[in-house]
Amino acid sequence: MGMISVALGRLSQAFLLLIVMSLIGFIGIHSVGNPVFNVVNIETATPEDIRQATIALGLDQPIWRQYLVFIDNVVSGNFGTSYIYHLPAFELVMSKLPATLELASVAMLIAAPLGTGLGLVAGRRSGTLFDRAVLKASVSALSIPSFWLAMMLILVGAILTGWFPSGGRGSTASFLGQEWSVFTGDGLWHLVLPALALAIPNIALIARLSRSGTIEVESLDYTRFCRAKGLSPQRILFRHTLPNISVPIVTIIGLQFGGMLAFAVVVESIFSWPGVGKLLIDSIQLLDRPVVMATLTFISVAFVTLNALVDLFYAVLDPRVRLSS
Amino acid sequence: MKLGSQFHPRLLSALLISILLGSAPSTSAQAQETGELRIATSYKLMTLDPHYANLNENTSLLSHIYERLVYQDENLELKPGLATSWRPLSDTQWEFKLRDNVHFHDGSDFTADDVVYTIERIRDFLKPPSGGFRSYVSGIKSASASDSLTVLIETNGPVPNLPLFFSSIFVMNRPSEGFETTEDLNAGHSPVGTGPYRFESWRSGESLRLVRNDDYWGGKPAWRDVMFRVIESPAARVAALSTGEIDVADAIPARDVASLKERGAKIASVGAARVNFVQFDVSREILPGVTGKSGEPIDNPFKNPLVRLALAMATDRGILVDKILAGYGTAAAQVFPNGLPGTSANLVPGTPNYDEAKSLLAKAGLPNGFNLVLAGPAGRYPGDAESLQAIAQSWARIGVNAQPSAAPFSVFNTKRAAGDYAVWYGGTSGEAVDVILHTLLASPNRERGTGALNFGNYQNDAFDAMLAKAESIEVGPERYQALAQATELVMADQPIIPLYHFHHIVGYGPRVGSYVMHPRGWTTAMQTLAAVE
Repeated sequence: MGMISVALGRLSQAFLLLIVMSLIGFIGIHSVGNPVFNVVNIETATPEDIRQATIALGLDQPIWRQYLVFIDNVVSGNFGTSYIYHLPAFELVMSKLPATLELASVAMLIAAPLGTGLGLVAGRRSGTLFDRAVLKASVSALSIPSFWLAMMLILVGAILTGWFPSGGRGSTASFLGQEWSVFTGDGLWHLVLPALALAIPNIALIARLSRSGTIEVESLDYTRFCRAKGLSPQRILFRHTLPNISVPIVTIIGLQFGGMLAFAVVVESIFSWPGVGKLLIDSIQLLDRPVVMATLTFISVAFVTLNALVDLFYAVLDPRVRLSS
Repeated sequence: MKLGSQFHPRLLSALLISILLGSAPSTSAQAQETGELRIATSYKLMTLDPHYANLNENTSLLSHIYERLVYQDENLELKPGLATSWRPLSDTQWEFKLRDNVHFHDGSDFTADDVVYTIERIRDFLKPPSGGFRSYVSGIKSASASDSLTVLIETNGPVPNLPLFFSSIFVMNRPSEGFETTEDLNAGHSPVGTGPYRFESWRSGESLRLVRNDDYWGGKPAWRDVMFRVIESPAARVAALSTGEIDVADAIPARDVASLKERGAKIASVGAARVNFVQFDVSREILPGVTGKSGEPIDNPFKNPLVRLALAMATDRGILVDKILAGYGTAAAQVFPNGLPGTSANLVPGTPNYDEAKSLLAKAGLPNGFNLVLAGPAGRYPGDAESLQAIAQSWARIGVNAQPSAAPFSVFNTKRAAGDYAVWYGGTSGEAVDVILHTLLASPNRERGTGALNFGNYQNDAFDAMLAKAESIEVGPERYQALAQATELVMADQPIIPLYHFHHIVGYGPRVGSYVMHPRGWTTAMQTLAAVE
């Protein structure tokens, strides 16, 4: 019973969030400018062309009515047709999703274990040279702007050494009806630099988090008891410390993963990686409203889902959460 | 619109790369299977429908698959395409003779009926917002196939530009029934044309793959496969060309040219068949942002030709071309670069004369100058936002305080349409000089369709009459002469200040022997010849 009401509460919150988000997004993109000027070629179109296109897109209607039409469409599972590409907006977003999903996943697969591991070891040996090195490196990795990092990776990894391609997605293989780079050697090769560009700041973030958690936990009584009991340092670190610091780490992984799905714009742009973040920015600039709204909706749903997953994961990781609910 | 303007990362990154490239050791291009041409393009193909949007983005890429009846060559002269010849039978009748033995990619013959279908599809079937093409066929009353290789076109009135219009229309083949919809084409019903390359695959915003059409009437194309990769960031295009990942990169920023040359890339460039200009609102009484020196409202100063002339005289085009465009631009005094058909050799951009300009202002009753807001788009054209700054500095020397105001292109357009601007930077292109004069400078007239870009509401009856007369003359030297004279007349009145014709710049690598630039700014595999080993 308790679980159901919690779940219902969460769902209604999520629903409210989606409504608010759609309103803000709709009004926001509406106030930027008139998309008609991107849809018809302003250099050749006659005023009559512009008028007809305005009517055809429903832009002659007051904004509240446009919003109702939008909501009506969404309820019937349709985000409309992209003004620019003349493809169904939601399909367009979904077609860009595999690229972003694999980029974010690979980046997180690099960042999560590496960051946690570095943080654990640094925290365990706090004050040593290794610890200070990790701390310094993480500070600089976090303060480097992502575009600069991406450019440096291109410069070193592609232009100076010629090891990796400077951008693009390479060859892809079909799986579940979508194209994926991770299943081809060439595709993986293309993934390395952009994934690193996304992973490096996250390694730093996760390392710092797990380092401070480790230091805190290592000074607690139960760790000392473990030590007194004669458990090996490795066992203490991985069986006792790691689970106890994992809640904030899982939270940050979830949040950062969502962020990468939605807003890896800079990295995607510099590596011309055709993902969702790039689509969102392109669509905002072209005022392609259906695509912007479809992308925003997807992003909100993704964040809500990720947060729910993270909450679920707490219960798995931390017995206290299970007990309290 | 390019991302580059909003995102400093890109600007900086371009700089970084270009600085560091110079000292980098050159990496040899990875050995690629010969026969594949890899092009990095800034042009993002929007749709596979050749009649959906009349933009270089689409026409460049789709011209591999589809062809036109008439082709515009590098001098913008009309050359036979799918039509071998054309002639007017009377004032309202045209006959187009079609090329024999041409096949579509699905094997069917190309016939006059396909041309009729194409016209009908644009005129009767396509609904807004698709467009930009309808105006080409709006003068056509009927089109019919008098035999399988002859198209007879009847027009509502004289349309001497009809062959020019057909240089913009891609011919599709008639399906067994109905009309092919844009959705059908985009959903991957293979687009079928007569062009030198066949469609293989397309991913919107990512790539377009083409394979050679061995059956092509114009002979076997040079490359076995063509792969277009959409790379919007100029820095990324430059990087990809530097590392040999691609063979051709279009829209190279002028600042990267030197470092690319050092790395062994070759550069091709040509003055664009287009013009960027400053346009005045000459119709309203009171203009937003225009005030006297102490901020008091003043009457529209741009109504006075002397003021426009003074501002034109105080505009330093040399700085725009040399500094902002790094030499990859031509100072403008008319709508097309000098030498193209319909341009006047008498119109040459002058050097700024600030004293003279000042005395003109004094004569116009504004000896102390005035304040204005100079609006413009950012990131739409090479050098756009920077030009606003440079022009404002030039104008300050004659006492005109211009406050530059740059906005993203869509915002700029919305505000301009709403009448928020008094004077602004703009740009336009067209198939021919008369097309630009017709939309940019002719008096706005809904019936005649003139003045669509004449947002300043400039009206000059003498010019309108001259242009109308020139437009009634058949394409040829006489028409060009009349257009040049009309341009001279209207430019003397300074309804706009022509600034520059920027250059299209393309870089290419060692696998490419030569690249022929087109002033319309197209990027195609047909312009690319393989290097001879």
